[in-house]
Amino acid sequence: MSQSLRPYLTAVRYSLQAALNLSNFSSQEVERHNRPEVEVDNTSAELLLQPMHIARNEHEQVLIEPSVNSVRMSIKVKQADEIEQILVHKFTSFLEQRAENFYVLRRVPVPGYSISFLITNKHTETMITEKLIEFIIDFMEEVDKEISEMKLFLNARARFAAEAYLEQFVY
Amino acid sequence: MEDWRRIDIDAYDPESGRLTADDLKPPYSHTVSLQELQPTIQQLRSYTSSGDFAAAVELFTTDPPYNADEQAKSQYFSGILEVLTQVRQVDIANIVKRLDRKQQDALIKYLYKGMSIPEGQKHGGILLAWFEKLTQVAGVNPIVHYLSDRRTV
Repeated sequence: MSQSLRPYLTAVRYSLQAALNLSNFSSQEVERHNRPEVEVDNTSAELLLQPMHIARNEHEQVLIEPSVNSVRMSIKVKQADEIEQILVHKFTSFLEQRAENFYVLRRVPVPGYSISFLITNKHTETMITEKLIEFIIDFMEEVDKEISEMKLFLNARARFAAEAYLEQFVY
Repeated sequence: MEDWRRIDIDAYDPESGRLTADDLKPPYSHTVSLQELQPTIQQLRSYTSSGDFAAAVELFTTDPPYNADEQAKSQYFSGILEVLTQVRQVDIANIVKRLDRKQQDALIKYLYKGMSIPEGQKHGGILLAWFEKLTQVAGVNPIVHYLSDRRTV
């Protein structure tokens, strides 16, 4: 792991450990409702806690918005050029379309970020919190590798296709 | 008056118990202006130029100006960011070890603030180094304090 990636992931790990202290909390607005307070228009500010920004540089950031019964975590994946922008968009939207299989994935990312997770008290009750954090850290590590790998494949394939096409003009 | 069924009557009831973000801030007797912070910023500069970073960190983590307005806070923070980014990586651990718990809480607030603004994100690496050293000393405690503390820097 590179020298600057490790402190970044440690910061995210510690911040998540602190934020994932969730309890069951019924809505104060609507009777018999139990909703993630970070997601709804809230009229009671005491339910939301201080948001945490973690940034490695301008292009790689994490935003963690904690509340009493849910945590929303958004990741901005590194996008150095236009190809990476397209790849990240395709990759995250592929995952988001299958969000129900990932349980904690949010279908739409928070504006300005590539992908968002929503963890509620139901998730921390049925899953082991440490493993959940492990999963997110793993995901952050893998997604960079995955994108750069895809970019290499894409370039190799484009070169091959161009060669195959242009060959017919050579006499 | 149209759509009167949708009027939120609880909002007009002063005893409804609803809290806004402003209600949660502790009542301050007065707000600190930029002029009052100027001497501290000067002091930070002189510590930085003489290379006494431990004293500078000690100075800004003790008694942070929670009751200043946003503009004064951001001016003050740019002075702090200068200190944080000029410390050499090897010295960070020693400086962090000398802080007490209140100072650790203040430091983590400045670190999170730094990473939320573009000027700080440029120096993300060094802020993360501070963060790592702080968690090695204090663990998850200052972060938990940060989460529930309504006094912002």
